[in-house]
Amino acid sequence: MATRVTALVLALLAVIAPAAFAQTPKEVVIGVLYPLSGNAAQVGIDSANAVRLAVDIINAKHDLNLPLARGEGLPGLGGAKIRVIFVDHQGKPDVGQAEAERLITQEKVHAVFGAYFSGVTQTVAQVAERYGVPHLNAESSSPLLTERGLKWFFRTSPHDGHFSQAMFDYIRDLEKRRNVKFKTVGIMHEATQFGSDSAKVQEELAAKYGYEVTVKISYRDKATNLDAEVGKLKAANPDILLPSSYTNDAILFVKTAKNLDYNPKLLIAQNAGWTDPTFVKEMGKDVEGHITRAPFALDMAAKKPMIRQVNEMFKKLKDNSTGRDISDAPARAFTGFLTLADAINRAKSVSPEEIRKALVATNIPADQLIMPWTGVKFDEKGQNTGVRAILQQVQNGAYATIYPFELAAADPTFPLTPWKDRK
Amino acid sequence: MAPALRWGLGALALAALLAVPFVVTQPYPRHVFISIFLYATLAQAWNLLAGYCGQISLGHAVFFGTGAYTSSVLGKELGLTPWAGMVAGVALAVALSQLIGYPVFRLRGHYLAIATIAVGEIVQTLMLNWDWVGAARGFFVPIKRPDSFVNFQFHQSKQTYYYIALGLLLLALGVARRIERSRTGFYFRAIREDQDAAASLGIPVAAYKQRAMAWSAGLTAMGGTFYAQYILFIDPESVFPLSLSILICLVAVLGGVGTLWGPLVGAAILVPLSEGTRIYFGGTGKAIDLLIFGALIMLISVVQPGGIMALAQRGRRRTG
Amino acid sequence: MTLEVLLQGLIGGLLMGFVYALIAAGLSLIFGLMEIVNFAHGEFLMLAMFATFWAWALAGLDPLLSLPLTAALLFLLGIAVYHGLIRWILGAPMLAQIFATFGLAVFLRSAAQALWGVDFRLVKDPLVSGRISLGGLFIGLPQLVASVGALAAFAFLYWLIRKTETGRALQATAQDRQAAALMGIDTQWMFALGWGIGAACVGVAGGLLTIFFYVFPDVGASFALLAYVAVALGGFGNVPGTLAAGVVVGVVEVMSGLLIAPTLKYVTVFLIYLAVVLWRPQGLFGRF
Repeated sequence: MATRVTALVLALLAVIAPAAFAQTPKEVVIGVLYPLSGNAAQVGIDSANAVRLAVDIINAKHDLNLPLARGEGLPGLGGAKIRVIFVDHQGKPDVGQAEAERLITQEKVHAVFGAYFSGVTQTVAQVAERYGVPHLNAESSSPLLTERGLKWFFRTSPHDGHFSQAMFDYIRDLEKRRNVKFKTVGIMHEATQFGSDSAKVQEELAAKYGYEVTVKISYRDKATNLDAEVGKLKAANPDILLPSSYTNDAILFVKTAKNLDYNPKLLIAQNAGWTDPTFVKEMGKDVEGHITRAPFALDMAAKKPMIRQVNEMFKKLKDNSTGRDISDAPARAFTGFLTLADAINRAKSVSPEEIRKALVATNIPADQLIMPWTGVKFDEKGQNTGVRAILQQVQNGAYATIYPFELAAADPTFPLTPWKDRK
Repeated sequence: MAPALRWGLGALALAALLAVPFVVTQPYPRHVFISIFLYATLAQAWNLLAGYCGQISLGHAVFFGTGAYTSSVLGKELGLTPWAGMVAGVALAVALSQLIGYPVFRLRGHYLAIATIAVGEIVQTLMLNWDWVGAARGFFVPIKRPDSFVNFQFHQSKQTYYYIALGLLLLALGVARRIERSRTGFYFRAIREDQDAAASLGIPVAAYKQRAMAWSAGLTAMGGTFYAQYILFIDPESVFPLSLSILICLVAVLGGVGTLWGPLVGAAILVPLSEGTRIYFGGTGKAIDLLIFGALIMLISVVQPGGIMALAQRGRRRTG
Repeated sequence: MTLEVLLQGLIGGLLMGFVYALIAAGLSLIFGLMEIVNFAHGEFLMLAMFATFWAWALAGLDPLLSLPLTAALLFLLGIAVYHGLIRWILGAPMLAQIFATFGLAVFLRSAAQALWGVDFRLVKDPLVSGRISLGGLFIGLPQLVASVGALAAFAFLYWLIRKTETGRALQATAQDRQAAALMGIDTQWMFALGWGIGAACVGVAGGLLTIFFYVFPDVGASFALLAYVAVALGGFGNVPGTLAAGVVVGVVEVMSGLLIAPTLKYVTVFLIYLAVVLWRPQGLFGRF
């Protein structure tokens, strides 16, 4: 009898003990990959700072209408805090692959996040797929990323298809509004993955809507001189110019255009350089009237005061030494990271499959986002369907949202003032 | 060192390397080994031309990229196994090398080096604009499951990649060793020491330079195919850049140019170093890792231009 | 492609060519003296540009006004680099010399990032701005000033080398350092001076560039590559040769961009370089 009781007690202990020992983890570890050196280091550093801000919002109490802001840590995991491991992939796909693998197998991260460049995001996604670890991407723009049939890859951001579609929607709506007819399009892009992807989509859409691409210029990035490029654009003189350039070349392009008196009537940029916060500040009235696609708009703070609060917090970050405003890419990083944390919270577990299921079930409403989207909800390919691309125009030295018209804070100005008339 | 002892140590080292994947089971450390083998192979290939034959090329990435793209494009368009693609890549790289070498080997010293940079830049720019192979958007190697040797893709573990990379390295070492001890190697060194004297002795200098170039290009292209099948994504920025050409030379110079083991020693030091500095310092965005890297390169160049192997030789002479 | 567009391109290429030439001149001088290619030359340019920027940002000095200061700073840098690094590798094999300066390049670039971050900096509202119009053709004033400044620097350099005692000593050392040493010329000092003057040239070029170009740690790389080609094209060691070569590079860059395709403009530059050195291995004006 005694032995039977002992056996029963032991058996009960054997069942309870593991449950008692299986505590919820004290922290959730996420690996974040960005280019922290090289040409795109500024964006990488900004995005890393945006992640730091998101982590602070999650881990500490904040009175903001953002996912997980009001509590401390992840309530679904008993208040577990988030810890981030930042990694510099130097813009190289092979480094991205190695680091993703290291983060997963050595650092035992519960999810990976990043990586800005589509080429690096691709290799990171492949690694995540292989190991069955969720990978959330907040800003890479190549449409192909969600066309590869990956189960573990999720993207909150719009991609080039969305952006360029918005550009052409605007062009056609502007034609109706102002009673003008555009015939020709000029495309100028860097010979990088970003530029080439962007140009390809724009070419396809131009053909679809019946615009003739009279000049398509690809140039080596980090150019010392853009005289030839601008000269060709001036000679072809398309009605609309669609540039895709990073900050340095964007600066050089505008200065060269000013020098050579190249006056496009309508300029719609594929963000990158144009949405760098220092770009408008440095270039001043030289870029008045330029339009860019932008997934994020600081001026929407008028309708959503939360945006201003988040921006103030971003500017005060210890690692944001020059007090930069939050801009396009970091804002997307911020939103993406909160989305990931929200999913882990709802999963109530750090098991990869549970997180994945939670991601699939994501449904964040528009009012909890600093982005002008209708929400965050992933389709079966892992792409967020709530995305909205907006267009902004430099008006009086700052970006103003001009499209879609129902979200616009200002009327678009058209055409661009020629150089000789700019004061 | 007595030959028997040397052979014994060599066999022991080889056995150890073969056993590594059984001891080291984590993917990341395996990746570091694979990187070491790959860079050592590329550096050894470069060494054949620059170290033994004295022709400094700063554009070797051309052959690496040729190998990578050839096998990948043939694999996608014709369904060819990457192994056949590798052979095709080698053939194309060798042909390209002869085409480049014919005019370029008339130059010497710094003019030659800059000419090879120019060739490298030309090829990279052309590839950035060649739409059929993806231009700047890059080229995705179609993923094939399950793992298969024929398809040269292994997703379950890095073990097979490890052995293939090791095999490539052994091949490169073997080729170098054979050349080193042959008449060809002798002619190479004569050309390196004094090209004009060699010519006056009747050595067909141009022909032998081309031969060195051919071996060098072929081996480098094999590394390119391996890379493409390992990373499964290639673009001109990752397989054709000037920075890769320079890195290959750096590995060989650090270890000891013109020596058999220099490239391997160089890779064994440089790869873990760059990985380590990036992991520990890279996350800050302050480029501290590159700072250390640069300082180290300067130090080595100043303290022992002959590379680590020269340091070792000096040490040996002192005790011997 | 009208004549106007082509002429405009020609002007732009010419102006930029003078700047390329000045950057290349320093490189050529150094090589002529001791047969070392300074692979950190682009980083010297970057440092000169940063020096000019900070002089403007912190002290309000216009780039044109701070030019002598920048030149002097770079002069000192050149001498410091010689004594700190180059002196020790004078006898080393060519590869070791290449990598010593390459290591310096990586070091300087990273140091700049660590110190000043990766932001793109621009000098706003410089003294020289705007453009002038000559019969429908535009010439940017900053670019014009930069090229005139480069030409002036070249003329000064020429005068220095040909007409002064020091310059002749430099030439002597370049031609035959042992004979020069026998004549009482301090070779070490000549070498250091060569580095100082070479760096000062790049300093002037950097100061002029900062009037219209952005500054950040990697800015030197693109210019450096063209400088190497210009030096080799003109002939290593031939300073006047680099003037011609720099202009060729600048003009070919723009004209081939206009006439062929912008994406192939550097391909054309490099092809022309290859064509020239295959016909004349020592460059257009080099001595063997």
